[in-house]
Amino acid sequence: MAAGPYNYSYIFKYIIIGDMGVGKSCLLHQFTEKKFMADCPHTIGVEFGTRIIEVSGQKIKLQIWDTAGQERFRAVTRSYYRGAAGALMVYDITRRSTYNHLSSWLTDARNLTNPNTVIFLIGNKSDLEAQRDVTYEEAKQFADENGLMFLECSAKTGDNVEDAFLDTAKKIYQNIQDGSLDLNAAESGVQHKPATPRNAINNDQAPNKEGCAC
Amino acid sequence: MADKESSDTSFSSSQASNPLSRKLNKILETRLDNDKEMLEALKALSVFFSENSLRTRRNLRSDIERRSLVINEDFLQVFQSVKEQLDSVYNDVKSMNECCQDMTSRLKAAKEQTHDLINQTTKLQSESQTLQVKAQVADAFLEKFQLKPEEATALRGSRDGTLHMDFFRALGKAKEIHKHCKILLRTNQQTAGLEIMETMALHQESAYERLYRWAQNECRMLTGDSPDVSSMLCQAMEALEDRPVLFRYTLDEFGTARRTAVVRGLIDALTRGGPGGTPRPIELHSHDPTRYVGDMLAWLHQAAASEKEQLQSLLKKCRSNGEQIQDILGHITEGVCRPFKVRVEQVLVSEQDAVTLYKLHNLLKFYHNTICQIICKDAALLNTVAEIQDLSHRMFFNSLNCNANKLLDKVELPPSDLGPTNSLNQTLQLLKDVLACHDASVVAIDDKKQDYKQILSCVIDPLVQMCSVSASRLNSTDMAAYMANCIYLMQTTLAMYEFTDTRLEMLQAQVDAQIDTLVSEQASFVLNKVGLAFVYGTVQQHQPKQGPLSALPDMGGPVLKSAMSKFDSYMASPDSLVLPQSRLLLSGRVRETVKKNSADLICSAYKQIYDTICDPANEYKESPSIVPRTPDQVVRLLS
Ligand SMILES: Nc1nc2c(ncn2[C@@H]2O[C@H](COP(=O)(O)OP(=O)(O)OP(=O)(O)O)[C@@H](O)[C@H]2O)c(=O)[nH]1
Ligand SMILES: [Mg+2]
Repeated sequence: MAAGPYNYSYIFKYIIIGDMGVGKSCLLHQFTEKKFMADCPHTIGVEFGTRIIEVSGQKIKLQIWDTAGQERFRAVTRSYYRGAAGALMVYDITRRSTYNHLSSWLTDARNLTNPNTVIFLIGNKSDLEAQRDVTYEEAKQFADENGLMFLECSAKTGDNVEDAFLDTAKKIYQNIQDGSLDLNAAESGVQHKPATPRNAINNDQAPNKEGCAC
Repeated sequence: MADKESSDTSFSSSQASNPLSRKLNKILETRLDNDKEMLEALKALSVFFSENSLRTRRNLRSDIERRSLVINEDFLQVFQSVKEQLDSVYNDVKSMNECCQDMTSRLKAAKEQTHDLINQTTKLQSESQTLQVKAQVADAFLEKFQLKPEEATALRGSRDGTLHMDFFRALGKAKEIHKHCKILLRTNQQTAGLEIMETMALHQESAYERLYRWAQNECRMLTGDSPDVSSMLCQAMEALEDRPVLFRYTLDEFGTARRTAVVRGLIDALTRGGPGGTPRPIELHSHDPTRYVGDMLAWLHQAAASEKEQLQSLLKKCRSNGEQIQDILGHITEGVCRPFKVRVEQVLVSEQDAVTLYKLHNLLKFYHNTICQIICKDAALLNTVAEIQDLSHRMFFNSLNCNANKLLDKVELPPSDLGPTNSLNQTLQLLKDVLACHDASVVAIDDKKQDYKQILSCVIDPLVQMCSVSASRLNSTDMAAYMANCIYLMQTTLAMYEFTDTRLEMLQAQVDAQIDTLVSEQASFVLNKVGLAFVYGTVQQHQPKQGPLSALPDMGGPVLKSAMSKFDSYMASPDSLVLPQSRLLLSGRVRETVKKNSADLICSAYKQIYDTICDPANEYKESPSIVPRTPDQVVRLLS
């Protein structure tokens, strides 16, 4: 409990997108549980997981929304992009079709998130080198052209999985530090907690009831 | 000296024998080298016997004796002083002994005198030890049963209301002391137990009061997007759990603060959107009902998940929190019910399109399931979603029924080609759209099946009804063909979807009835055209008592012959006598069935006619020339 009075000082919201079966749920599971789920059922709608990480000495809680890749859920999952600080866009290096669909995922990501959302491209299943269908260079070029961060990972071996999630967080944190991400704006996907307890008296945050149209 | 002895011996023995020779012998036998004494004596002699003269020889003896005397005197003198010293030692020892004896006796006396004192001291010592133990016990008791001054201060806290970790340690101690007092009460220290208990209770009461105020204040401020649940607050909740009422009040305070925050969050998302307007405010999509409602529901889902997490982290140190979390979560998410409901209701009541309504219904159902995994079923939010879902269900079926009523209100006449009317086509398209969006929907299979049944009866039943009404002014053949066509179109539409088997079976039965009509119409059409209808009718009704058939009017051989030749030319090209309505049948299969079944019917009629004519009792002459073809040949020709 030496970590100070607060367990974490930021919450970053992530969303994981990509075709069905590319391993989104497995990546999340590997990241939160450090285990590989070999027979993972298709995600229905969305699921979510959390983990607390540390970036530059700051504890950050990641709240990660894993979406279903099946087409029939597309309308539903689109509603979850809003307010994401990070978007992990996943394809399967052994299935070219999942790579070919990236531009459609990217369009959604750009249209439905805020301009500061960090988009990270992940080529999953890097353990299946023999079945590779998309070269590293090609995907790297795609990432560079579109200003995406990029890594090849394996949810099975855990290779690079940690880095993909952490690098995204570092980038978001850097955006906060250099002021390009405005924490006070609603739905920035980042929530900040003060690093020290406030004084007991602080009345300017009194509940402000909505004069809403209800 | 040996010298002297030997001279003595030689002297006495010289008188016994030859003294000289003996002496000589003796001298000769003497081995001077070996006689060390002799050598020594001689050496000593040589020191002072320096002058070998007669006188000196004579005086030798006395010289030696004098020397010996001197030596003895020396001895005496030396030993004299030794003796004197020994004497003085002796005196010393003696006086020491006396001294010791004196001391022993004095010690003895002293010992006798101090015995009492020692006894007394021992007693005092043991007494002091007992007292020391008592002091330790008392200290331990105080340590265990009293708060230290600094602890009491920590409990009373600082004036500005802030709290420190010491507070919790002191509170824990007070609580423990209070608990231990119960043990005291079981011993004979009851008064002390009661008194301490009372003191501790007072300490605790005021401490809990303070803690409650602090926690309440903390919670009241947790209205940000994400509350800052400090570990101190977690600790406070843990401590407050001992005072269920205060605990509950604090949780309520938390709930109220969060409730406000969630409402504000939703309104912000609806009206303000993200930084710089991206993502765009949800309300901007209110023209797109599924997106608008979907975005709101997704927002609520995420908010519910976050709130639950925050509650869990607030109560992570508390023992029982499952039910309480649900309770508070219900309270937190209750605030958004109204703004949410108002908006969705508005969408639902202004929406007329059945497909959109159905999509909304499915969406609501899906989110009801999804949110159910986070908050408990009887939470207000879920009730609201369920209510709206119910409304969407009603609105959807309303829309379908509306459509059905419109169908029956102004029934179109069947077109001349006996094909589907516009309204039939449109309704079937609507059904397709509805079922298609169901196919792509996100709800569980079970729900799907139930819905299908209802949708089908809502659409198909009125459709069939409409077709019947529209067909009512047609003749029976037209009606049969028209109905067969309409139902066929319904069948082909339904066949593409699951859970339609029963429906399809029911429709098939209706088609079969229409086919039967068409078959008999087709058969009688042919028999009429070739002039066998009358013959067949007569044959069927003829009874033996009427006499031979050939005798009946219009049943003579020539008449039959001409009819049979027409029948023959029909058989050469059966398609020439197909009913025009049959040609209008849309379903190839129905057309084939009508063709085949009517041919069967014609064959069996022919067989009956043939058998009757060949029956001698009917007295046809040359019957083979009237019916040249056997029934088998006819069957072969017509099939
Ligand atoms: N060899 C290998 N298999 C993987 C890896 N990641 C996932 N898989 C397998 O790929 C399949 C699909 O993984 P999921 O995580 O369910 O895929 P998803 O993207 O969540 O799919 P949806 O939920 O339908 O969108 C599973 O059978 C996994 O076992 C990987 O890194 N290596
Ligand atoms: Mg999945």
